[in-house]
Amino acid sequence: MLRYTLHRILLMIPTLLGVAILVFFLLRLAPGDPVQLMMEGANVQQHVLDAERARLGLDQPVHVQFYRWFAGVLTGDLGVSMWTGRPVIHEIAIRLELSLQVAVMATILAILLALPLGTLSAIFKDTWIDQSIRVFSIAGLAVPSFWLGMIIILLLLSCFSWIPPLTFTPFFKDPWANLSQLIWPALAVGYRYSAVSTRMMRSSILEVLQEDYIRTARAKGVFERLVVARHAMRNAMLPVVTVIGLEFAFLIGGLVVTEQVFNLNGIGKLFVQVVARSDYTMIQGLVLLVAAFFVLINFVIDMLYAFLDPRIRYG
Amino acid sequence: MSTAATTVTYKAPKRRHPVLQFVTQQSLGAAGLMVIVLMGICAAFAPWVAPYDPLAVDYGSMLARPSGEHLLGTDSFGRDVLSRIIYGARTALAVGFLASFVGSTIGAVIGVASAYFGGKIDMTIQGIMDVLLSFPIIVLAITIVAILGKNVVLGVDVNLIIAIGLTMVPRVERVVRASALAIRELPYIDAARAAGYSHARIIFRHIIPNVVAPYLIMLTAFVAQAILAEASLSFLGLGVTEPTASWGLMLSGAAADFYQQAPWMIVFPGVAISLAVFAFNLFGDSLRDWLDPKIKI
Repeated sequence: MLRYTLHRILLMIPTLLGVAILVFFLLRLAPGDPVQLMMEGANVQQHVLDAERARLGLDQPVHVQFYRWFAGVLTGDLGVSMWTGRPVIHEIAIRLELSLQVAVMATILAILLALPLGTLSAIFKDTWIDQSIRVFSIAGLAVPSFWLGMIIILLLLSCFSWIPPLTFTPFFKDPWANLSQLIWPALAVGYRYSAVSTRMMRSSILEVLQEDYIRTARAKGVFERLVVARHAMRNAMLPVVTVIGLEFAFLIGGLVVTEQVFNLNGIGKLFVQVVARSDYTMIQGLVLLVAAFFVLINFVIDMLYAFLDPRIRYG
Repeated sequence: MSTAATTVTYKAPKRRHPVLQFVTQQSLGAAGLMVIVLMGICAAFAPWVAPYDPLAVDYGSMLARPSGEHLLGTDSFGRDVLSRIIYGARTALAVGFLASFVGSTIGAVIGVASAYFGGKIDMTIQGIMDVLLSFPIIVLAITIVAILGKNVVLGVDVNLIIAIGLTMVPRVERVVRASALAIRELPYIDAARAAGYSHARIIFRHIIPNVVAPYLIMLTAFVAQAILAEASLSFLGLGVTEPTASWGLMLSGAAADFYQQAPWMIVFPGVAISLAVFAFNLFGDSLRDWLDPKIKI
């Protein structure tokens, strides 16, 4: 187990190194650079542009630039934003709380919806309950989360004249204001998330219900409710956990677009901003962060496997 | 009895056309296919189907409610929403199909090669795919769009298609590689090797025909993803640009300023996106059940 854990941790290193290299060099292949965009329209002379490039280190050969940046990354320093001049870590940190909270709330919503709905759908297979839950979940895969967000705003606007607040209220300052602000974007991105997990839960429960030990339990006269809750649901959780982990990537993607709709100044909105500005250091920092997050989540899920299913032992 | 039996000729079971088989066995998928075909017709014959020119600005009827004249209302430039949705189907289907085709094909070729050659080559490719997989689709697409810029050929942004297509490569690659790995172990591949056929011949003649099912399944599934990605990117202002009609673009910018005055500007384009994605998902799911239920998308 320990050996496997170490092996998995070591495997994350080349992946993240690959992400860093890919983003860094691809960005510099692109035509135009942040200096050009910053000075666009202004009548500046070439030597001013050159001086600015030198200040940002963009006049150096690419491999030297990479070496400098990566040496910083290894010591936990992601550099400074080429646009605002503030440390990348600071720019991300002030927005992370919001995005993370929406992500966590969306995940909780998704799990709260998916487990009962998927189970119900499986138990009442091919009845109207199953059919309506399936339509609900197939629709969840089709509806773009940003549009769902717009529809939610539209409904809240016409029913309660609610408009998305312009500023973010941290949870510990005013939990009620915070939750009533973030529950809607969480719902918008959580719906898709729940749809995928519901489908997985359904097929997983259906599979488990075929197992011998379920028949044994039923033959012993165990109440059907206990059969489902104790035997079926527990064993069906494993694939669902995987899906929840894999879909986390989609969740981040959903956030990128949905944050625009709800006017939330989070990581997603920041990402769109810095891409439009070609802010190299910010883009590198954000992409690395998201990738690290994704890799880490998948690692945690692999570890959870062993915990949830004692039969799995990593050699 | 026995004498009669000799005169009875064996009647081969009626072989129905595969399309007909699909329609009868997978009714939900057939419904999805019907919606897709309908959208395709609308897109192909847009100039005849659409009641108005999608680009015609008419300040006389700005933000008009849905009525007999404008079935789905007009936007803040007085452009007919229905016509823009019909023309938007062109953008969605073109980008959706092309991006999915490019992505799935590259992914399938890499997957087959990776499985066939194995060893160090396989490990290297899997490493690269792991790197690409650790980007969320939208984040990767936005990054590639930002790097490539715009490159419009025949009214379609080629770089947008490449950006969306590339995000699918690692996802298709994994599935196709898994199928190809199983095929590589079969005796007839050994036979082909023993016969001295070239790698290219074995790959193209013996392996690729056997991974067509997962390829087709992934292709249809990713058309839906590509349509969603195009809508998201256009919504963010990074995809299709004005005045081209695109569903995602219709939801961005001005639409959000008129939540209350003109809700139809928000509702209908989103319905179009959802319906298209829904149809492709239904069709893709049924195609999988029909061709190979074991494949996990």
